[in-house]
Amino acid sequence: MDLAQIAVMLAAAALYLMILPARWRGWALMIGSVVAIYWLQPSLAIRWLDYALPTAILAITMLGWYFTLPQDVKPMRADIAAFTVTILIVLTLSLTRYIDVPLQLTTRPPPLETVAAALAALLLGGVLLRRFLPPKALLWLAMIGLIVLFGVVKTPALAQEAARLLRLNAGQDSTLAAGSELAWLGFSYVAFRLIQTIRDRQSGILPALSLSEYLTFIVFAPAFTAGPIARAENFTESFRALPGMTGRDAQRITVGLSRIAAGMFKKFVIADSLAAFSLSPVLAEQAQTTGSLWVMLYAYGFRLFFDFSGYTDIAIGLGILFGILLPENFDRPYLKNNITTFWQSWHKSLSDWVRFYVYSPLSRSMLRRKPKPSNYVIIFISTAATMVVIGLWHEVAIPFLIWGVWHAGGLFTHKVWSDKTRAWYRGLTAGRKRIWTAAGVLITLQFVMLGWVWFAMPTVNQALAVFAGLFGLNLGGAP
Amino acid sequence: MTETEVREKLRQFILADLIKDPKYALTDDEGVVSGGLIDSFALAEIGVFAEQEFNVYIPDPDLTVAKMNTLNLMTARIMRDIK
Repeated sequence: MDLAQIAVMLAAAALYLMILPARWRGWALMIGSVVAIYWLQPSLAIRWLDYALPTAILAITMLGWYFTLPQDVKPMRADIAAFTVTILIVLTLSLTRYIDVPLQLTTRPPPLETVAAALAALLLGGVLLRRFLPPKALLWLAMIGLIVLFGVVKTPALAQEAARLLRLNAGQDSTLAAGSELAWLGFSYVAFRLIQTIRDRQSGILPALSLSEYLTFIVFAPAFTAGPIARAENFTESFRALPGMTGRDAQRITVGLSRIAAGMFKKFVIADSLAAFSLSPVLAEQAQTTGSLWVMLYAYGFRLFFDFSGYTDIAIGLGILFGILLPENFDRPYLKNNITTFWQSWHKSLSDWVRFYVYSPLSRSMLRRKPKPSNYVIIFISTAATMVVIGLWHEVAIPFLIWGVWHAGGLFTHKVWSDKTRAWYRGLTAGRKRIWTAAGVLITLQFVMLGWVWFAMPTVNQALAVFAGLFGLNLGGAP
Repeated sequence: MTETEVREKLRQFILADLIKDPKYALTDDEGVVSGGLIDSFALAEIGVFAEQEFNVYIPDPDLTVAKMNTLNLMTARIMRDIK
């Protein structure tokens, strides 16, 4: 979110709180979020794509709701109304092809009949799948479909091939195709929320959700770009309380605005200042001394924290203004005294997600085996799988894979260490514990910062060159 | 199975298999995870124990510190679904 987008959302929040009748708040959040995902999506070089991608998000979200609806539950009138309103918004936006509107919601969309035909085919396909597939198979198919789509979007070579096919389809020069052209805003978070609802439906813990609740949960504008990933039951609790919320509640407005102000300061003042000397391929090439590289690395680590936690503060603050309580995502992660607590306090909603849907099910499936593997084998495999998923979630590329393995190694080492030293640690005096805690904070911070090298450098060779530079070696490349 | 039986079976499992200190005086409302006695992996072990011992499946998002930190919380969660 940039400053203009935050300003528009604040203006929308003011109208929402001051003018809108309370009973329309849920509808306003749904309609506002549906329109906002077109507005937030950056324009793309491939024809129609910046219109097609948000439309695809809405279509797969509505299918996600329909597929996770219990078999004995039929859509209600309110669901049909929410569906109709959403489709009308999508079709109306496609009419901006024919008229010039002052609001830049999307670049030139495809013709109305193309949009209508594509939506009809997709939704009809969904209806037929639900009708003819057994419920369990349908949910698994939906989940596999999302994972495959996620894999295509996140793997540069596959994204490039997809871009090439889209360019061919649009009658554009396919030789110019690049993976970056598939910059699908919000998709990483949308996909994870959708997978979450499918998995929760399989476990029987997904609450009954109306289409407007489900749709707003998946595409809620303040959290659309970069999270946090709420839990459906918590989101719905806030959503259902909206009609009873006091609009002009000075305390809530103050809390929301202060949170947004704090987030803006972190993101636009601190993080943006640090960006000037944060580690990057270009700056790493120019570094003259080991000390300057360390400064760049720490600047990078702190910029990442202030940028992301600042963004989260803004999202949470906007959520508070709109009456939706979003989960916290950071809890002073760089002050933690071991890597396990670091991961319980860094991007918490994503780490919770992978713990619930990767780590825990994988560990449990191995714990059930007879003969059961040793606990350390189970922990090693589950931790590695979990951290690799977190790494590849950013992009399917070797440096992110190594970053995931780096943290898995840290987590596993800490697990073995804490098992071996737990009794000894409990027997320490308070003073000794403080010394060990301080040492733990320094070691954890250093480990996390070194891990960011894999994050900042796009290739393994560039990352290795930075490591060499950090430790005063020169392997021949940069720096 | 009564609530007391469930609680005692859980207590024995936690002391013998997770904390590995059968003499530890674990109270019913003591935070086992927040107190550092067990870690989040042990929650997965408790999940499997609940399946095998009580035939209760606890979904993964319910295996959290907030929901499973004490013997009382674990017992209540299992009693909710026990047949």
